[in-house]
Amino acid sequence: MGEAEIGSTPDNPRGRPWNRPVTLPRVEWRFGHPGRRYQPTEWLTVDYAITGLEEERLRAFERSIVWYTEGKGEEDMGVHFFERFVTPGTFAGAVPEGSFAVQLPASPSSYEGVIVKIRWCVRVRVFFESGRDHVAEQVFTVGDVPPTMPP
Amino acid sequence: MRLPRFFPKKRGNRRTGSQVWGSFAEGVFYGVLLAAGIVFGLLLVTGTAKYAPADPDTVVLQRGYEWWMWLLTLLIPVALVAFGGSGLARVVQVWGKSLEHRAAASRPAILDGLASVVSDQASHPSVPLCENLENSPGTVLRYRLPLESPENWSLVGYGVFALLWNAFVVVLAVSAGADLMGGTTDWLLIALLVPFAAVGIGGVAMLVRSVILATSVGPTQIEISDHPLLPGATYDVLLGQGGASLFRSIDMVLEMEESATFRQGTDTRTQRLVVYRQPLGNWRRVQPVPGGNFGARVSVTIPGDSMHSFASDNNAVLWRIVVKATPDRWPGFTRVFPVVVFPSPVGGTGGAPVTEEGE
Repeated sequence: MGEAEIGSTPDNPRGRPWNRPVTLPRVEWRFGHPGRRYQPTEWLTVDYAITGLEEERLRAFERSIVWYTEGKGEEDMGVHFFERFVTPGTFAGAVPEGSFAVQLPASPSSYEGVIVKIRWCVRVRVFFESGRDHVAEQVFTVGDVPPTMPP
Repeated sequence: MRLPRFFPKKRGNRRTGSQVWGSFAEGVFYGVLLAAGIVFGLLLVTGTAKYAPADPDTVVLQRGYEWWMWLLTLLIPVALVAFGGSGLARVVQVWGKSLEHRAAASRPAILDGLASVVSDQASHPSVPLCENLENSPGTVLRYRLPLESPENWSLVGYGVFALLWNAFVVVLAVSAGADLMGGTTDWLLIALLVPFAAVGIGGVAMLVRSVILATSVGPTQIEISDHPLLPGATYDVLLGQGGASLFRSIDMVLEMEESATFRQGTDTRTQRLVVYRQPLGNWRRVQPVPGGNFGARVSVTIPGDSMHSFASDNNAVLWRIVVKATPDRWPGFTRVFPVVVFPSPVGGTGGAPVTEEGE
């Protein structure tokens, strides 16, 4: 299992106004390929397990595969795969454990440029009934483009 | 809920900030515009207030405009209502949705509760379209690439500047002339007119110089044996340079350029950086055949591990063939011919996903 990468949205700080410690969810990932390196149009399979969901009831759950840009420019994002579960009946197959398989597109490839970088990631987002939400993501690589250096 | 911060932190390379407060502020902004439009419009529709000093307890409302003026002034509140209303509707539409949900919702293939892979319009999402690069056949090779010359934009810029500036100068000159003919001399206006006229003459001179440069050195043509380009593949490129004069040098290179658009305060800026450059050929003391072209045929190989062309709203990775030439009697020029590089074709479409030991 890969180490969890947990994020908490800025609207939901770790310190709670009612002085009650809240356990942040943790996500463990397992990718079909060691090193999380894939080729374009290849199938990506990923298993995940979320812990720390016992304290609150879920309102919705989302899982997605996205690419986004980093670097000097404003961030752009493209969604390749997106699923949203909004009723408790549908949570069973997705939370706290789930898996999915998606065929990756032919482009864009992961890219480590000088002022433009492109990253792919698997992302899950948990919405609680209290209004809080948590997001976790794990980056993976598409393609074999080496990092670029200025000439 | 945490109160909004005016100076949000950066988490790594990702910006942080409250989406809820951001959406709320955006909603308030559009709401204020909508309310202002409605109030302003109602005031215009109902008329103007009139106060009668003899009867201070009574305020009479009546329309204070001609009908066409009244209709014209309604344009502003209508624009406010349209802008504020559409913005407010958009804020309400995306309220509470995650970034992924918003991005996915813009695609019709995505539906709540359904698993679906976004089907992109093209087989290569985020790769720039190349139809415009392939609609002109070459005379020797398969395609003739279109020119994307910065000099053409300079020519247009000089032309627009010279036209607008000199129109302004003419208005000033007519005004000064009318004063003189009327027997008065506005020295301040005349003092202003002199430097303004000098700038106008300079603008016309730059325009004429640009026109002469653009027409005197002759056209540059690039033909290529195939398109779009693929990493690892080799293509023939034919350079044709027209003109009657001697060229001290002509250089042709293949470049990959990164482009990033970002906001800095209220400005939107774009930074470009060439991150790969491959010389394709250089020629010295070139004399085109009278009435014909200088022609040179070279091969270009796209490196096998190259990044493909990529374009999104604010970021891009672009490939192009660049010709830089220095005529003997004229300033040098640069002419750019964009090309599109596709990703390497990879046979990874096997139907059954296989789960191996993960990390």
